[in-house]
Amino acid sequence: MSDYLETLETSNNPENLSENLLANLIQVKDVTKKYRLGNNEVEVLHGINLEVKAGEFVSIMGQSGSGKTTLMNIIGMLDRPTEGSILIKDIDITKKSQKELVDFRRRTVGFVFQQFHLIPSLTAYENVALPLVFSGDKDNSAVESALERVGLAHRMHHKPVELSGGEQQRVAIARAVVMKPKILLADEPTGALDATTGSMIISLLKSLAGDMTVIMVTHNSELAEYSDRIVYLKDGNVAE
Amino acid sequence: MRLHSLVLKDISRRKTKLGLAVLSVVIAAAAIVAVVTTFSAATDGLYEESNKFGANIIVRPEVTTIPLVAGSTSIGSLSTGENYIEESEIPRIHTIQNNSNLAVVAPRLYGVAELDDSSVVIMGVDPEKEKTLKPWWKIQGHWMAAKTPEKTEVMVGSDIAGPLGLKEGSPITLSQGNISIDAQVAGVIESTGGNEDGYVILPLATSQYLLSKEGKVSSLEVRALCNDCPVEEISRQIEEVFPGLEARSMSQIVETEMAVVEHTESSAMAVSIITLLVSTLTVASTMLASVNEKLKEIGIMRAVGASNRQVVSMLFFEGAIIGIIGGGIGFAIGTAASSIAAPMLVSVSPSPMWEILPAVVGICIVTGMVASIIPAKRALGVDPAEVLRSV
Ligand SMILES: Nc1ncnc2c1ncn2[C@@H]1O[C@H](COP(=O)(O)OP(=O)(O)OP(=O)(O)O)[C@@H](O)[C@H]1O
Ligand SMILES: [Mg+2]
Repeated sequence: MSDYLETLETSNNPENLSENLLANLIQVKDVTKKYRLGNNEVEVLHGINLEVKAGEFVSIMGQSGSGKTTLMNIIGMLDRPTEGSILIKDIDITKKSQKELVDFRRRTVGFVFQQFHLIPSLTAYENVALPLVFSGDKDNSAVESALERVGLAHRMHHKPVELSGGEQQRVAIARAVVMKPKILLADEPTGALDATTGSMIISLLKSLAGDMTVIMVTHNSELAEYSDRIVYLKDGNVAE
Repeated sequence: MRLHSLVLKDISRRKTKLGLAVLSVVIAAAAIVAVVTTFSAATDGLYEESNKFGANIIVRPEVTTIPLVAGSTSIGSLSTGENYIEESEIPRIHTIQNNSNLAVVAPRLYGVAELDDSSVVIMGVDPEKEKTLKPWWKIQGHWMAAKTPEKTEVMVGSDIAGPLGLKEGSPITLSQGNISIDAQVAGVIESTGGNEDGYVILPLATSQYLLSKEGKVSSLEVRALCNDCPVEEISRQIEEVFPGLEARSMSQIVETEMAVVEHTESSAMAVSIITLLVSTLTVASTMLASVNEKLKEIGIMRAVGASNRQVVSMLFFEGAIIGIIGGGIGFAIGTAASSIAAPMLVSVSPSPMWEILPAVVGICIVTGMVASIIPAKRALGVDPAEVLRSV
């Protein structure tokens, strides 16, 4: 726990931050995505180029249907681009096999969704422990420190239905960071929350940025202001 | 927390839904266990019965034999030539190593005699010993006594008694060459379907006199008494003691009945296996339904790091658990069912066959895992990007 905070603190230190910012952690190169709808092909992303530095906190904004979720899924390796490539730490993940990707993704990215997507039958603790279960990690100490980090150590034996929306989203954030990934992807993390709770979640994400690269999709320009940079997507193109 | 505890949690949450799948495995397992238990008890019972009644081993001179037919009734085979066993040597049989298993040694003398101008097969026996060998014979009249000075008693098979109108108390005269004896019918043996239907049975000494074979017998019928008798071994020991005699175990009757039992068993087993196939489908459809319900959860697990292999092994584990529970309960129910049904069906009381428990549970586990294949394919088709996108 303290280790974790320390790393967070040291990396929030401006000196380290600038050093980290030198490196491009994520490089999206000419990414297109086409979906097949019956006989029609729909191109959702038209050659996206985007670079995100280590420790950066980037907001992505854009109209509904502009391809934000699609881009997030591609960066997060849940989906593959039709063309183009994604480099993470200079490793081209589009060249990796499905099997190789599983472990790489486990250790590299954490996801936070608008709908929290917790498993209802599992307690907060168990939900946070899931990534460790799948990675075969037997040391569960990271679970408690992650829950402490989001301020929910005292609710860890509660099931999602017994938690408020904001609390559920904090559990989801704890689950996303429990493996200490380099990248945190949050797709409209405040979309299902009221304004106050929403800004609380954003400050939490902001406090995680630095050690982690945070990319957040939001429709709320006020919340987007918290980030280091805002990227606009318009009809599948970047309009920064 | 481990992968399998995740599955166990999930199973306990969906108890009622999975109940149907478990129930179908229970039914199949119970059917199989009931069939196996009942029929193995029936088979055991048959052997036991064959041990209790009738001879297990026939000892006779080692000669070429010819089949002998009296009327339409086959009476087996009869030794040719002058090969007989000396009555005085019979006690030597008790020097074999398994002597303690020899319950009855009954001497027999076969021959042909004239009765009312026709030839009949006569069998000389020791009435006391024969009675213990053939407890199932129903006699109209009474069992003949051993030779008594006043009168000679004989028993006749139903195929002979019928045409000649013989019944208890009828006087008959048997002759062979120029020897003849007057006797009285003590009783008629109700048809057994066996060779004795065509025999006239008389005390050994009388038959020896009639056939001029004093001190000789044609064969010995030996009843070995023990569970799981090493009949072949006893036969071998007898042959060792009596060079020139052959001892043959007589399991043919049992084998015929066994064939009937086995035929019935295989029909019952076929039905059970169909039940098992049906239960595989039930488990598969239940699990498929549960996978469909959990598409989102599967997507979440994929998104937080579950590999294809982990998703599949979770489902296989779930299938196996259904199999274990179903197999265990099925074993208990099948055992209980057979202990109720078997006494009525095959008049034996079976005891639980613990030795088949592992195999039964094993089969059920395989059933559960086979049933998981289609649900697993469905789960692998889950695109996390897609299921998590839909709100
Ligand atoms: N599996 C799919 N098949 C076909 N079209 C799809 C599929 N997934 C997404 N789309 C289409 O791709 C486009 C971009 O979708 P995406 O979800 O990325 O938009 P978004 O910017 O996240 O929108 P929102 O703000 O509403 O979440 C939409 O027009 C959508 O209908
Ligand atoms: Mg979206």
